[in-house]
Amino acid sequence: MKKLLLTALLSTLSAASAATLVFGGNGEPVSLESGNITDGISILVQRQIYDTLVDFKNGTTDLVPGLATKWTPNANNTQWTFTLRKGVRFHDGTAFNADAVVFNLSRWWDKAHPYGFRDQGRTFEIMGELLGGYKGDATAVIKNIVKVNDSTVRVELNKPSSVLPNVLAAGYFGIASPTAIKKDGAKYGTPASKPMGTGPFIFQSWRTGDRVTLLPNKVYWGEKAKVDQLVIRSIKDASQRLNELKAGTIDFANDLTPDSLKSVQGDNNLVDVKRPSFNVGFVSLNNRNTYLKNEKVRQAISMAINKKEIVAAFWNGLGTSNASFVPPVMAWANSSKVPADYKFDPAAAKKMLSDAGYANGFSLDLWYMPVSRPYFPNPKPIAEAIAADLSAIGIKVNLKTEDWAKYLEDRNKEPGFDMYMIGWTGDYGDPDNFYGAYYGSNASDDINWNPVNVQTLLEQGRAAATQAAKAKVYQQLHEITYNAAYRIPMVHSNPLAAARTYVKGWIPSPLGSEAFNTITITGKK
Amino acid sequence: MGSYLIRRLLRTVLVMLGISLVVFVFVRSIPGDPAVAMLGERATAEAAAALREQLGLNKPWFFNPANPLDAQYPRYMTALLQGDLGTGIKSNIPVWDDLKARFPATAELSIAALLFALVVGMPAGILAALRRNSGWDNLATTISLLGVSMPVFWLGLLLSYFFAVKLGWLPPSGRLGTDYDIQPITGFNILDALLRGQPAAAWDSLRHLILPAIALGTIPLAIIARITRSSMLDVLGQDYVRTARAKGLTHRTVTTKHALRNALLPVVTVIGLQAGALLGGAVLTETIFSWPGIGSWVYEAISQRDYPIIQGGVIFAALVVSVANLIVDLSYAALDPRIQYS
Repeated sequence: MKKLLLTALLSTLSAASAATLVFGGNGEPVSLESGNITDGISILVQRQIYDTLVDFKNGTTDLVPGLATKWTPNANNTQWTFTLRKGVRFHDGTAFNADAVVFNLSRWWDKAHPYGFRDQGRTFEIMGELLGGYKGDATAVIKNIVKVNDSTVRVELNKPSSVLPNVLAAGYFGIASPTAIKKDGAKYGTPASKPMGTGPFIFQSWRTGDRVTLLPNKVYWGEKAKVDQLVIRSIKDASQRLNELKAGTIDFANDLTPDSLKSVQGDNNLVDVKRPSFNVGFVSLNNRNTYLKNEKVRQAISMAINKKEIVAAFWNGLGTSNASFVPPVMAWANSSKVPADYKFDPAAAKKMLSDAGYANGFSLDLWYMPVSRPYFPNPKPIAEAIAADLSAIGIKVNLKTEDWAKYLEDRNKEPGFDMYMIGWTGDYGDPDNFYGAYYGSNASDDINWNPVNVQTLLEQGRAAATQAAKAKVYQQLHEITYNAAYRIPMVHSNPLAAARTYVKGWIPSPLGSEAFNTITITGKK
Repeated sequence: MGSYLIRRLLRTVLVMLGISLVVFVFVRSIPGDPAVAMLGERATAEAAAALREQLGLNKPWFFNPANPLDAQYPRYMTALLQGDLGTGIKSNIPVWDDLKARFPATAELSIAALLFALVVGMPAGILAALRRNSGWDNLATTISLLGVSMPVFWLGLLLSYFFAVKLGWLPPSGRLGTDYDIQPITGFNILDALLRGQPAAAWDSLRHLILPAIALGTIPLAIIARITRSSMLDVLGQDYVRTARAKGLTHRTVTTKHALRNALLPVVTVIGLQAGALLGGAVLTETIFSWPGIGSWVYEAISQRDYPIIQGGVIFAALVVSVANLIVDLSYAALDPRIQYS
């Protein structure tokens, strides 16, 4: 026994293996089946295993070739033709081709697809969310998916869309090996299966609740990984991720709380990494409330909240405040007729309120989220600050909250919340992903405001062929929604990440996940 | 004894059936359903309704007039009686598969925590009783009071920060270092590593186990120390102990042979009760220490309203507690010949 322990001790000391890159994820992936899941950590792991047809340039939301080398619309944007990369193989050795693309797209889109496993609980709900519905639905964007030849696929649409390639570039839509899906059946994507993509890393193992281990794809068509092994650990607690970083048991991690910035900067072994902002945190005002029906009241509320100060106080320099619903990287969609920043003027706000007939003020409920999100890391004190600002112009605010699942449900139930905090992180780089998600015809009904001109503009935005044409449309939307003041943007935050100093070449994507094939860890002990 | 055992087992089955009904109604009575939780910020009323329909959650709970068996509870129970706990709504993974993969981790942690609590708690309690009102007694009482009132998540983070980050002695969280992999046999990492001939991995597993076991074991430790102390004091004041002393037996013989054995009975009861408390404490400990057990899994499922996982997890935990209590009851007879079951 003594000898055994001694051997154990010695082998622990010598067990340091050279180039294992360890990431601290904020939980365990739900599934590694693409198209079927939307949580951040699942998408991050999938990004390593799968490629999408169209990709994003590292660190941006600009489109670059992925598994498709070219994508071209017809004249009125009702058909998109994708030219596929040749000579690419899935990790199981089978060929990537038009059949594989049609197979993947169809199983997400066609509810009757034999390998969609819908009878076994698969929902592919993100397909319906981003592309209007499924095969045969009146609202569905996709009409048909056609194999033209071995390396060409055509997607035919029911209505013009210039954003189809952007949507298909979103991390949800990794192309998987049809052979592997047929082989594993409904088990595909669970820890009992072997997910197979064409990506820079190959699935090795998934220890439930603990970690996923990946190996580099030695024959990857793109930039090959520079480590011997990639381990993605599940560490739910944000302070524990920081502890692990400090102890050196993980190399890099996402989703640290803004108040850990000081601690990261004070540690010589760590560097802080600010992810480019691609989100918006905002407060919504509900038209069903008698006071909030009044445009003057809503504008007064907006003017009374000191957004700049609130962001400075609660985001530790990890956020910016402006008057736009889209994040700064899409500033081209902003109108110059709308001020870049909100005017903070309590005196003017008080006068507006009195002009509207509420000189003595009134009271309303402000609901704050019970959970932390990148756009509102600490909702309660932020809500308290908003309440304090509003009380200065005579509006008495009752702070309310409830369990997150109930919160999400109640905000959409009549009569909804008077005023509440929520936010959004984008999936792909198009303003439609922000304006459409919250003002579109199938957006949530929490503000009871859905004017025809907004819907028309949103349709036009989706159909517009060039960025210039889009800009024209979204600038109008910016003006309309700004003046209506139903949703008041508070912040675009930079989610905080950190890495050990030897981690080089990590290029965080604004979209929240990126492939780790660019990273080197020379000098890791 | 045999008929007692059969009656107890039958009662356990009835209790389990009752629990399945209660948890079924209970999870569905919590506002906010799985469809809304799955959709998150995207949740619109229409999208949630469509998803609910696809997941079969729009069906009646108990009785469907059109098709009596096509309601949620009859379907659930039919499957359950065939040993099928259903499939996680979000993950599509059979609940039983997850349970099998995760339970050994919780069991390993709970056993380690209980061992820690016993090995430290019992001697501390005995010593405190034997040296009543001494400085040692006061210290033990104070520490055990602190122990029960310490929030587990706070203690966990504190331990992790101090021993892992500051001192670098132990890993901050997780169950196994990334340098190792152990192919499961029993699911108990340390045991499996030894069986597979990977002593280094066993050592690494043990190092990972220490901090969470301390965090989880602290409250039971404090309780065990206090119960041992008071039970021991009680026994030491009994006539037969005085008689034993009067007969001229040494202090050591009196305490170990006569007093200790009798003082252990309430301690055993407490251990049985602690089985349930350990499972409860595991929820926080596992979340803080990224320990891949059933506690963190059910916790996550509750926030996601993942009905099959919550139901499966609760029913299984209830079964474990029932079995633990049965073992405790049976061990009474072994400890105290006066107790007989018939």
